[in-house]
Parts: sequence; C-alpha cells; structure tokens
Amino acid sequence: MRTFHWDIFLKFYIEILPYLSVTFSYVFFSLLFGFGIGIGITVMKFSGKRILSALASIYISVMRCVPSVVLLFLIYYGLPMMMKGEFGISMDHIGTIVYVIITFSLFLGASTSEIMRAGYLAVGKGQREAGYMVGLSGWQTFYRIIFPQAVRACIPNIGNIIIYMIKEGALAYTIGLQDVLGRGYQLNSLKGNAYSAETYVALALIYWPCTIILEKVFAYIEKKVSLADMIAGQKTEVSMEEI
Amino acid sequence: MIEIKHVKKSFDNVEILKDVSLNVADGEVVVILGPSGSGKTTLLRCVSFLEKADSGIFSLGDVSVNLHKISKKDILKLRRKMAFVFQNYNLFANKTALENVAEGLVTARKMDKIQAIRKARQALEWVGLSDKENFYPVQLSGGQQQRVGIARAVVLEPEVIFFDEPTSALDPELVGETLEVIKKVAKMGITMIVVTHEMSFAQDVADKVVFMDGGLVVEEGKPEVIFSHPKEARTRQFLSRIISLDPVYYI
Repeated sequence: MRTFHWDIFLKFYIEILPYLSVTFSYVFFSLLFGFGIGIGITVMKFSGKRILSALASIYISVMRCVPSVVLLFLIYYGLPMMMKGEFGISMDHIGTIVYVIITFSLFLGASTSEIMRAGYLAVGKGQREAGYMVGLSGWQTFYRIIFPQAVRACIPNIGNIIIYMIKEGALAYTIGLQDVLGRGYQLNSLKGNAYSAETYVALALIYWPCTIILEKVFAYIEKKVSLADMIAGQKTEVSMEEI
Repeated sequence: MIEIKHVKKSFDNVEILKDVSLNVADGEVVVILGPSGSGKTTLLRCVSFLEKADSGIFSLGDVSVNLHKISKKDILKLRRKMAFVFQNYNLFANKTALENVAEGLVTARKMDKIQAIRKARQALEWVGLSDKENFYPVQLSGGQQQRVGIARAVVLEPEVIFFDEPTSALDPELVGETLEVIKKVAKMGITMIVVTHEMSFAQDVADKVVFMDGGLVVEEGKPEVIFSHPKEARTRQFLSRIISLDPVYYI
C-alpha cells in the first residue's frame, strides 16, 4: 500500500475549503425556496378544498418517489429543452447552480411541507378551540397559539433537513457544479486520479464539521425553545429522539 | 336571555341531538345532567360553534342566529360574548398563566396591555393563584390549570360561560377547590350553563337542572324538585343510580 500524502491532502483541503461558499449558497437558497413551496403545499393540504389537497398529495408523493439525481438530470437537461422548444427561451447563459437550486427547492418543498404538517398536527385541537373561545379569530388563533407551538415541534426536523440538504447537495457535481465535492473531484482528476484517498478524506473532513456544528446549533435552539426548559429553575432534558 | 331552539346534530348518521330546546334567563345557573352520550357536551359545543349543528336557532340577548347557517363574522361576534371552560382545561401551552388570562383581552378585545394585565392579575388572584402567574400550564396541577381556565373565562366578562364537565378530568382531591371557584362565579350573577356529574354541586348552585338522555331534554326544573320528586321514570332511574350510592360503600 502506498503512503498517504499529507502534503497533498493539506493542499487539497485548503483549495477545496473556499468552495464551501458555493455549497452553502445552494443550500441556503434551496432551503429558502423549498420552505416557500412547502408553505404553499401545506396550505393547499389544509385548505379543505379537495382538489388542492389532492394536488398537494400528488406533489409530495412524486417528490418522495423520484431519486434526487434523476430529478436533477431532468431539470438540468429537460428544462432548457422545454423552455427552448415550448417558449423559445434560451437558458444557455444560466449557471449550473440555478438548476441545482431549482431541483432541491422542489424536493425540499415536499419534505418541509411534511414537517410543517406534522408540526401543525402536533398541536392539539383543544388549543385551537380555546383560542376561538376567548374570542380570537382563525388567523389570530393561528399566529398567537398554533404557530408558536408548531414551530417548536418542527425544529429538530428542520435541523435534520438542513444536514440532509448539505449531504444530498453533493450530487450537484454530477452536472458539473464546482462546489466542495465538484472541486475535489476536479483537483483529483487533474492529477490523474492518483490521490483519491487524499481527496475524499479531505472532503469528509470538510463536510463532517459542518454537519456537527449544525447538529449542535439545533440541539441548542431546541433546548432554548422547548417548553420544558422555559421553566425557571427546573431543568428537564428533552431528547431529540423523543420528538 | 338565551334561547336554544330545536337543535339537531348527527355524527355519521348517529343522532346525538334529536331536538333540544332550552331557555336560560339572565344570571341563571343551569346545570345539565345526564348519562354519557346523552348529548350534553354536544349541545354546548353546538351553541359555541365548535360543532356545526344540523339545524337550530340560538339567541343570545338581541342577536338570533341559525346554527346551521352562520357567517364567520357572526360567529366571532357571538363568541366574544361568551366564554368556555373545557374539560381538559386547554390552557395555551405556550403561554404563562397570566398570559393565558390576558390573551382574550389583549388580542381579541384589543384592550390596552397594561390594563389587561392588571385585570388578568385580579382574575388570577380571585381564583387564588396570584403566586402562579408566571407558571406555564405544564407546571400547574390539574386543579390549578382549571382555575386558570375559569379566570380566563371570567376576565372576559362574558354574557354567558359554558362549563363542559369542568371537574371530570381532575383528581378527586382537586375537584373541591375547583368547584369552590365555580360556585364563586355563580354568585357573581353571570349566566352559566354547566355540564357536570357533580350532583351535590347541582343541588347547591343550580337555579335550574336539565336532565338529558338520548339527545332529548327529558325533564327540567328547580333542583329541589328534580332531585326529590322527578316526574319522569328515566330521571328517577338515573338519579337513583347516582345518588343512592353516596352514603353506602360497596366493596
């Protein structure tokens, strides 16, 4: 077995690291638009209109059943073709990252709506009725009573979904995006793929701290906002698994 | 004056309320008794619009509405004249005792915040929970939670308060303190409709007792009459089962 080249590893590590900004920007925008879509889907689902709710269910079902890499290819190759063919709009000048963001926004739209649905349902119907009976309107009951409680129920899952997004986003290299993985892949191939071990160890050591930090941040937030811990003087542990 | 006329309600083709009418005078305390499934709770929920009745008329003061066909606006307007005390308390889990009591004043009735807090404090003091104002519902016992629930209702100065089995989720030990507070409310002269299984409470406090069974009002009258000389056989049967057990303990 050949020796591990620490110098190459270090060089790669330092060269790849700045590309985290690319990774984080598609993670950020995918989450932003994903939550937007998710809110829309959730509202449709609870609209009480049968057609809207069915459409929302179909959307969620499709997004959960198609592998993300398939959707990514579909968007990357299919969308420009469709835009050109149907509307005569050229998408040649559009950056690869846009396709990544579109793909993952669509995906996260489905998964965040499921999180929101679970959070909404976690708040008992008695809370809503109590709101109505002190004279709150439907909207007041939602934002004063239901929403604050639903958000608490969602927080652990939101943390999970961001971590999922960071990892799943690595697929972006398959359409040639220069993010963390894409850059590592490129550096390695420039050297004739001779330093695969160094490349991927470096990559692992870039992804790992990111997810660990996120995990800690969310554990902290969760602790901060959990009802049990708002209680002065009494410390109650709420484990992540419980929710 | 509250008038409930010909209320009908079915769930999945099961008739829960067959045709219920009830008049309640201002300041009157009406206790509704009856076995489980007789429709007592459903009646309260229909007239507070938590369930949509299949038909029926409801009048509160000078407002009269069709329970089956009522706009959201009218619901809100009427609800702001009433209050509801739930079996499971249903205190807002994300708010402290004081915030729970103040919520209806501040958000629904747009009262000045400082004034609302002052009123909410008074209400909490009135139910004997001044020292718990910054506690969250999870930190309070069932009896304390229900007393906050009562304060939350009373502070709104409603025209009527509905009590839906306010003590049946409580530990037997805690029933007494809660009933004491409800009796205090009765003495204030607020109109009350109380669904309960507490017979002695009904005897002490009610101006009128209504006995329901099978989705119908079987009998109504003054408590001394209903408890000692019920006219209907069904009422006698129900009362004898409950009351005669009191002094004798079967093992």
